[in-house]
Amino acid sequence: MMNEGVLTAMIADDEAPMRDLLRARLAAVWPELRIVAEAANGVEAVELGQRHLPDIAFLDIRMPGLNGIEAARQLYRRSHIVFATAYDQYALDAFEQGALDYLLKPVTAERLATTCARLQAQLKARAKAPSPAQPDIGQQLAKLTSLLENRGQETPKTGYLRWIQAQVGASLRMVSTREVLFFQSDEKYTRVQTAGGEFLIRKTLKELAEELDPDEFWRIHRSTLVRVDAIGEVGRDLRGRHMLRLRGHPFELEVSRNHTYLFQQM
Amino acid sequence: MSASQINQGLDFLRDAFNEASKLWWRFFDWLAVVEWRQLALTWFLAFLVCVPLNMPELATWYLIASFGVKILAGGKRKAELLAKEATMQANVATLERRLMEAQMAALQAQVEPHFLFNTLALIGQLIETDPQEAARVHAHLIEYLRSTLPQMRARDGGTLGKQVELSKAYLSIMQARMKERLNVRFDVPVFLGSAPFPPMMLQTLIENAIKHGLEPKIAGGTVTVRAYVDGATLHVEVCDDGIGIDPHADDGIGLANIRERLQLLYGANAELVIHTPASGGACALIKLPYKMMETA
Repeated sequence: MMNEGVLTAMIADDEAPMRDLLRARLAAVWPELRIVAEAANGVEAVELGQRHLPDIAFLDIRMPGLNGIEAARQLYRRSHIVFATAYDQYALDAFEQGALDYLLKPVTAERLATTCARLQAQLKARAKAPSPAQPDIGQQLAKLTSLLENRGQETPKTGYLRWIQAQVGASLRMVSTREVLFFQSDEKYTRVQTAGGEFLIRKTLKELAEELDPDEFWRIHRSTLVRVDAIGEVGRDLRGRHMLRLRGHPFELEVSRNHTYLFQQM
Repeated sequence: MSASQINQGLDFLRDAFNEASKLWWRFFDWLAVVEWRQLALTWFLAFLVCVPLNMPELATWYLIASFGVKILAGGKRKAELLAKEATMQANVATLERRLMEAQMAALQAQVEPHFLFNTLALIGQLIETDPQEAARVHAHLIEYLRSTLPQMRARDGGTLGKQVELSKAYLSIMQARMKERLNVRFDVPVFLGSAPFPPMMLQTLIENAIKHGLEPKIAGGTVTVRAYVDGATLHVEVCDDGIGIDPHADDGIGLANIRERLQLLYGANAELVIHTPASGGACALIKLPYKMMETA
C-alpha cells in the first residue's frame, strides 16, 4: 500500500451531502489521495474498511448500525482514523485529550489542509520505520464508546424499565412509567392504572419491582406498587388500616403494616 | 355474628353518618349565605305547611334553630366560603401559570443545536456543490425558524394547518440530509387545516420518529402523518417504520411536555397514546376535542 507512494482513504458518513463535501475538499487540498471507498453507515464502513484497507478512514460519529467510534475500534489497526462531527462537544473534548484526529463539520479548506499535512508527515514517518509505530488508540476508543453511550444519546439508557407494554388488540400499547399511578396484582394479571384508564399485563409485580426504578415506584403492599410522585397523603380508616390517597386522583390504596415505615416521617 | 358481618354493619353505620353530616353541612352553608328575606319566606312556608297538619311546634323549632345558627355562625361561615372561592380562583391562576411554563418549556426545548448545526453545515456544503438545493434548504430553514421562534405568540400558530406546514419545512430539511433514507407521507384532509391544535406537539412527535425510529435504522424508512375526526375527537397520528421503542429508554422531556400541556388544556378530554404496531416501528397519537376553528 504505502510503498507505492499513493495513499488511500475511505469516507464514512450517513448523509450523502457530507460525503460529497469531504470528497470535494480532499480533492482540492490533497489531490494525490485516492478515495477507495465511501460508506453510508457504520456496518458498511467496517466492511469496506476491511476489504480495501485504506491508509486513512474518515468516520462520522453518528451513523446508523454502528457509530463512528465503534467502527474505529475495528479499523484502527490498519487505518489511521480521523473522526468528523458537527456538534458533539463532549466528543471533541475527548479527542483533544486523547490526541485523536478529528474534523469539525462543515469541513473548511484551511482546517482540512492542516490536518492533511500532519497526516502526510505521520504516514511518511511510519512508512520509513519498518515496524508499525502506530500509537495504540484501542483503550481511548473503548473509553469514548462508554462516553458516547452515557452522554451522547438524547435518551440515556438508565437500565430501569421505562415503558410498560400492554397488548391492546393487534398492537402493543406503550405506557410510559411516568403515566402510571400504580400497579396492582390481580390473580393472574397485573393491573396498570393510569389517569386515563387501566391495562392488564402479564408481567408479575415481582418482576416489575425488580425492573422499575426503586426511586420512581414504592412497594406499599404485597400486591401494590405506587408511583412516588403521585402519593398524596396517608391516613387511617375506621378499622385502623393505613390508607394512601393519590394526589388529584380518586384512588385509595391500602398500605400493609410492614410498609408503613415508608411514611413514618411524612 | 362473623367478623365480616360486623364489618359490614360498621361500614353501613359509617356511610349513614357520613351522609347525615354531609347533609347537615350543606344546610349550614345554605343558611350562611341565604338572604334574610328568603329565610323569612321559608319560615312563612313552613308555617303554611305545618299549621294545617297541626304541628306548629315543628315550624317554630325550625324558625328558632335557623335564626340562631344564622346569627351565631353565619357570618364566619360566609367568610369561609368566600375565602374558599378565592382559593379556587387562585388555583385557576396557578393552572394558567403552569400552562404558560409548559408552553415556554416546549418553545425553548425545540430548536436543537444539533439540528441547527447540521443544517447550516449542509447549506454551507450545498452552496458549493448544488446552489439551487442550498437555496431551497435555506428557505425551509428560515420558514422553520420563523414559525418556531415566535410560535406561541403567532395568532394562527395554533391550528393544525400551521403545524403541518411547519412540520413539512422540517421534514424537507431532513430529507435533504437523509436523502432516500427518509420518506414522508401526509394524510391530512384540507378541511382540518383550520382546526385548533396546540403548537410544537406534531413537531416533537415527528422529530422523535426520525431521531429514535429512522436515523438509527440503516435502511431508513417512512414517516406517516395522519389526521382524522372520529365523533367529536380530532386524531393526529405520527407513525414510523423504524427500529421501534426500547422499553428501557427514557421517554424524554418532549413527550412529558405534551402530556402535561394536554392535561392543562383539555383535562381528561385529551390524551397521548403511544403504541407499536405488529408490523414494527412506532406510532404516537394525540386525541383532543375537535373544533372547526378557533373561537375568538
